[in-house]
Amino acid sequence: MPGPDFIPAAVRARLKDLRLAGRRAVGGHGFGQHPSRSRGAGLEFAQYRAYEPGDELRQIDWKLYARSDRFFVREAERDSPLTAWVVIDATASMGQGDAARAGWTRLDAARALAACVFELALRQGDYFGLAVINGDGLRLVPSGAGPRQRDRCLLELQAARPTGRWPEAARLRPLWERALAGQLVVLLSDDFDDEVVAMAEKLSAARREVLNVQLLTAEERDFPFRGGHRFRDPESGQELLSDGVAARSDFLARFAAAREALGLRLAAAGVRRVEYFLDQPLDLPLRRLFAPLASERT
Amino acid sequence: MSLGLLAPVGLWALAALALPLLVHLVRREEQKPTAFAALRWLAARLKPRQKLRFDEWLLLALRLLLVAGLALLLAQPVLHGAGAPAPWLVVMPGADTRQAPALPEDAERRWLAPGFPPITEAMPSPPVATASLLRELDAMLPSGTALTVLATERFDGADGEPPRLSRRVDWRVVDGAPAEAKRAAEPPFSLAVRHAGDDTPGLRYLRAAALAWTPDAATAPDIAPDIAPVDAALAADTRHLAWLAPGPLPPSVLAWVDAGGRALIVADAEWPLPQRGQPAWQDARGEPRAQRAALGKGMVVQLVVPLSPAALPELLEPGFPDTLRHLLQAPPPAPQRAAAAAYAPQPGGPGFPETPRELATPLLWLLLGLFALERWLATGRRQVGA
Repeated sequence: MPGPDFIPAAVRARLKDLRLAGRRAVGGHGFGQHPSRSRGAGLEFAQYRAYEPGDELRQIDWKLYARSDRFFVREAERDSPLTAWVVIDATASMGQGDAARAGWTRLDAARALAACVFELALRQGDYFGLAVINGDGLRLVPSGAGPRQRDRCLLELQAARPTGRWPEAARLRPLWERALAGQLVVLLSDDFDDEVVAMAEKLSAARREVLNVQLLTAEERDFPFRGGHRFRDPESGQELLSDGVAARSDFLARFAAAREALGLRLAAAGVRRVEYFLDQPLDLPLRRLFAPLASERT
Repeated sequence: MSLGLLAPVGLWALAALALPLLVHLVRREEQKPTAFAALRWLAARLKPRQKLRFDEWLLLALRLLLVAGLALLLAQPVLHGAGAPAPWLVVMPGADTRQAPALPEDAERRWLAPGFPPITEAMPSPPVATASLLRELDAMLPSGTALTVLATERFDGADGEPPRLSRRVDWRVVDGAPAEAKRAAEPPFSLAVRHAGDDTPGLRYLRAAALAWTPDAATAPDIAPDIAPVDAALAADTRHLAWLAPGPLPPSVLAWVDAGGRALIVADAEWPLPQRGQPAWQDARGEPRAQRAALGKGMVVQLVVPLSPAALPELLEPGFPDTLRHLLQAPPPAPQRAAAAAYAPQPGGPGFPETPRELATPLLWLLLGLFALERWLATGRRQVGA
């Protein structure tokens, strides 16, 4: 484990040029770096409105007064902070890792990715919160900002254990109450449970911007098994005897098809999804998610 | 240099090679439990194996090697004619080692002494059987080994003729003298007589013989030889005794014989030893006159005929004291000192088959190493358990 904050030094160095931003998510209240619906002093012109008593005199557009003989107040859009939620699937299947790199599981990767998101949010002054969902239910860190909020979240990450199956929707109510419309939700999961995908669709339909990182092991990509194996699903406990070489091509074809179908389904719901394999560098999915659009590049 | 087997029957153990082959042929229950969450897209495909397949080739080869090595160990391998032998330098005790010829660094430098101790050890004590040691060394060394001997000008331990060795010896005579072996001068022969009474038959002949060997009998006739009845104690320096009493020998006399005394007992005395004696004296016609046997450091000689001129006419002969002396006195040691220049070993002696080098110990270490490697391979982290 690379230190108490989960981020390896090399990855931390590469985080410098990343910027946490949503395409649909907008800033809330206060001052930040994201476009918001709040009006105030800013650079982006929003509208003119009629002068009301109490407005500051310096906000009156005097040139317009000269043309129209009325007082108008010039309003601009204000840049506001964003609220980013990290939702971690910590069901039993997330405890799976590669034999080639023992001790590095999906959950470890999820922890590291979450820590990266917190780091980005902290740097930009954004709000962030954490939800860890496993068989025991939902563990929630309400959104906040600042280094202490980050430490709270890291502490919660540290305590997360991969157990059980995805809980029923009723137990996830607090998340719906906290993660409000217009906020960013980063969902870190293996997406093998249909309930996870359904929740992502519902969140997206409810105007949360959902970003999904599907965490996959390198074994699921390459299927390097040889000889007979007793494959066991850690969540259902179901077992299957199979020969590695014989089952490989069939599995790879079916799994690729399933991933493609998932991608289409999530894209239709407006969820951006990237795949992350456990042997890839940690910042790769973040780079894909938060890469600036062509219009934003300067 | 060739490899030989002392017990080729041990090679039958090679039949055990079948064991690892069978172990590796046994089809393993290949059900390695693997956590795999994407089970939904995986189909059960069990591929049956039709042809013979060996698992873990490296481990199998190692195990075969191990079994073959054990069989070889049972067959007791030896190596004939191992390596080019280093030259030997042997030094007689007392020789001046500074005059040794220049030899290679790996030459063996030893004392010419029992066990051939290295020259770095203390000089061995003098009485060494030089000629015998030279023959032993010649038989022990491989035939190609060059041998250099540093001999003192004179040395002890020579025997009948210069040794004939199987190799040509670089015989160097250097300064130096052997430490003198202490040897006490042999005292003149004297005889003590114990008799059962003055009328003991034959006593007069033995008295005459004892008188003949008493050195001062002619000049000082009052110095009488030690002739006394049986209950008189023996003088401390008595070395030869004639016992003329019948019956068993008293324990004090037996203890004296055991400590190195030599006793002549008459025919009617009891033979004190469990075993029979060897013939010691025969007359001109080959009739036995006396038998003898060793007791401890000493010797018992018993006449087999009565001590009377009728049965033993030699009693009357003038040479009887001489005969008696030869019968009792230990033979003087043969001369052993020789001049080194005249005693150089001659070549042309019999060669001896060389002792082959045992290979069991290095083979055992090799097998131990192989076994450790095999255990490491067999228990380490691997894909398939074996």
